[in-house]
Amino acid sequence: MKRIMQIALRDFVAVAMTKGFIIGLLIFPLILVLSGTLLPRLLDGSDFQIEGGYAIIDPTGAVLPELRLALDPEAIAERRFEQRRAALEQIPDSVRDVAQVDMARSMFEQLGPAPDVRLVELPPDADIEAEKAWLNGETDGLRHTALIVIHDDAVAAPGGELEFGTYDLYVAPNLDDRDLGFIHSSVQEAIVAARVARQSLDREAVEAVLRVSPPASITVGPDGEQRTLPGFNFLLPMGFMMLLFMGIMTGSGTMLTSTIEEKSSRVVEVLLSAVSPMQLMAGKLLGGVAISLVTMALYIGVGLVVLTSFSLFGLLDPWLIFYLMIFFLIGFFMVGSLMLAIGSAVNEMSEAQQLQMPLMLILMTPWLLWPVISRDPDSTLSIVASFLPLINVFGMLLRMASTQPPPLWQVWLSIGIGAASVVGAVWVAAKVFRIGLLMHGKPPNLRTLLRWVRMA
Amino acid sequence: MDSAIRLRGVTKTFGDMRAVDSLDLTVPTGGLYGFIGPNGAGKTTTIRMIMSILFPDSGEVAVLGRASALQAKDRIGYLPEERGLYRKMKVRPFLRYVGRLKGIDGPGLDRRISGWLERVGLPGIESKRCDELSKGMSQKVQFVSAVLHEPELLILDEPFSGLDPVSMRMLRSLILEEHARGTTILFSTHVMPQAEEICEHVVMVHKGRKVLDDSLPGIRSRFDPRSVQFEPLDPAADTRMLAAMQEVEDVAQGERGLEILLRTDTDPALAMRRIMAAVPAARIELSRPRLEDVFIGLVTDSASAADTDSLRAQLRDAATTGATA
Repeated sequence: MKRIMQIALRDFVAVAMTKGFIIGLLIFPLILVLSGTLLPRLLDGSDFQIEGGYAIIDPTGAVLPELRLALDPEAIAERRFEQRRAALEQIPDSVRDVAQVDMARSMFEQLGPAPDVRLVELPPDADIEAEKAWLNGETDGLRHTALIVIHDDAVAAPGGELEFGTYDLYVAPNLDDRDLGFIHSSVQEAIVAARVARQSLDREAVEAVLRVSPPASITVGPDGEQRTLPGFNFLLPMGFMMLLFMGIMTGSGTMLTSTIEEKSSRVVEVLLSAVSPMQLMAGKLLGGVAISLVTMALYIGVGLVVLTSFSLFGLLDPWLIFYLMIFFLIGFFMVGSLMLAIGSAVNEMSEAQQLQMPLMLILMTPWLLWPVISRDPDSTLSIVASFLPLINVFGMLLRMASTQPPPLWQVWLSIGIGAASVVGAVWVAAKVFRIGLLMHGKPPNLRTLLRWVRMA
Repeated sequence: MDSAIRLRGVTKTFGDMRAVDSLDLTVPTGGLYGFIGPNGAGKTTTIRMIMSILFPDSGEVAVLGRASALQAKDRIGYLPEERGLYRKMKVRPFLRYVGRLKGIDGPGLDRRISGWLERVGLPGIESKRCDELSKGMSQKVQFVSAVLHEPELLILDEPFSGLDPVSMRMLRSLILEEHARGTTILFSTHVMPQAEEICEHVVMVHKGRKVLDDSLPGIRSRFDPRSVQFEPLDPAADTRMLAAMQEVEDVAQGERGLEILLRTDTDPALAMRRIMAAVPAARIELSRPRLEDVFIGLVTDSASAADTDSLRAQLRDAATTGATA
């Protein structure tokens, strides 16, 4: 046992003390934080300069004046403000606390750079085909970006019915999505305003009548109440699956590379003079599991801190973390021992990739199954997936984190199947490991590996 | 005294290749045994079975009185043929790691490491990374890793392969020192002259079978040559009468002078005196049996002339690194 610990310790230190591992460990939470804070700012459209020349053919004569109003910078700022307010209503309190700063910003700041739009009015009987050519030109350095053709019945439906017409839009090539969205929203706004005026309605009254702000639902649990977080119940299973996947892959990946290194540097038989292949394998598995546990502890810790700081911790069943660890250990020892077998059989990393393929394909299936299982955790597919060796660790965890957790006997049956497959995988891997370590030269194919299993 | 290594009828096959075929081998405690044979003879496989790295299909292995080397690993030093170091590890941590795996620890371990590095002429390399060492230096570090725990039994698989003559001489004296300390040593080589220089006892294998197991003096007397190399003082001298002498069976032209084969019942000393009296000699000497000739003689029935030549070339070529057998 002392020797196994020595091997585990060396393998752990050799990996955990490298810059690459530490950077790799921190880079994932860093990307999460960056994409959470930086990305919305980068994608925020308010800094985008809207510009261009719009030509409009308006046979109704009512849309054009409204469009001029809609393109007024202050009106644009108001629309953007309204959109943001509606979006913020969907976000939980704590997140909104941070975002309130934005709400307090002045209308002018919300606007971003003022749009530089010039409207060109064309006669109602203008030839559309001829005017399309205008789109590829420019005036005073301002590109002609849009030709807007309002339909005759866009404002007043014929015969007083409520079947309104709409508009056609022709745009210049290579137009930014944000330009396009701006044109649509402005024209729609103008047409609605023209219709409301035509019906002699009070625009504010109509909007007030139509608007019902959706309240955030309250989840009432046995331990208290909590604002419901939309998407949480869908994303939680995925979070758990990702933790499980990363946990398994980090440690087993490092074991694969260290085994290949030991074999290619010919140090392995020196080690075998002191320990048996089984001790070596056990030591490497322990070292690998330690690497994985460090990784998972960090990520779970970060996750819990985030949940707690947004006071969402109550939404998480702590037992899930217990089961996550059990399924992690099953998945790790299965994948890890097979990775060790692969590492022992090959001479270099590129050869390993070929042999890894089947294993990787199996490990990819849970990602395909995730949406199916988390939407419908009791379907036949979900139940089968939670009992198939190797897939079951992901499948069962997905079901447990879903809205309809499986009965406990199914969980423990899955754990039992997992434990049995670990025994099987370690048994097969040990045989390949023992022979593979001493084999140099041509890498074996799957058939040779099977022969080794029978041989040892 | 017990034997340090005892194999009985050990057989190992890989697929349809019989690597080792009912091999018996006994190495007494304190012995210095050479395990020799050409590449692919089954030496490494046998050694791996002794080390319990491989297991025989049939037969028995006993090492240091135990049924398996696994129960005595701390008392065995092993320098494998396929050997190396962790490239990114420094020398001292590496030796510490190997030492701890062999069950030594504490302050004594560091003292031993420094002591051994000094002995092999590498003081002060402890903090160098293994990939900074020259080939000769890493070979020495590997040797240190095998003997650090002062084993009772030292097994060296092709210890000289890839060594330059200076390192080779140094390693030879280290092996002899270990032997003088009382360590039992078994070393394998496919280069017969090396074995001739060190061993007390030689075990020859060919195609997985043992073809010879005897002490060096025993081999010399058993394969006592009846062949005399003779170079006349005057190259033009008439040597025909030599063939007619009663002690002589045959005379043939060799590479450098004549090869005179004596009759079985002749005293070589007397015969040589008579030859010199007949024709003045520039050089006359009794051929010593070389292990190589002995080996070729033993396996030659089963080998064609071309095979014999390639076998001979292999047995002389010190630079050939052994393939895994």
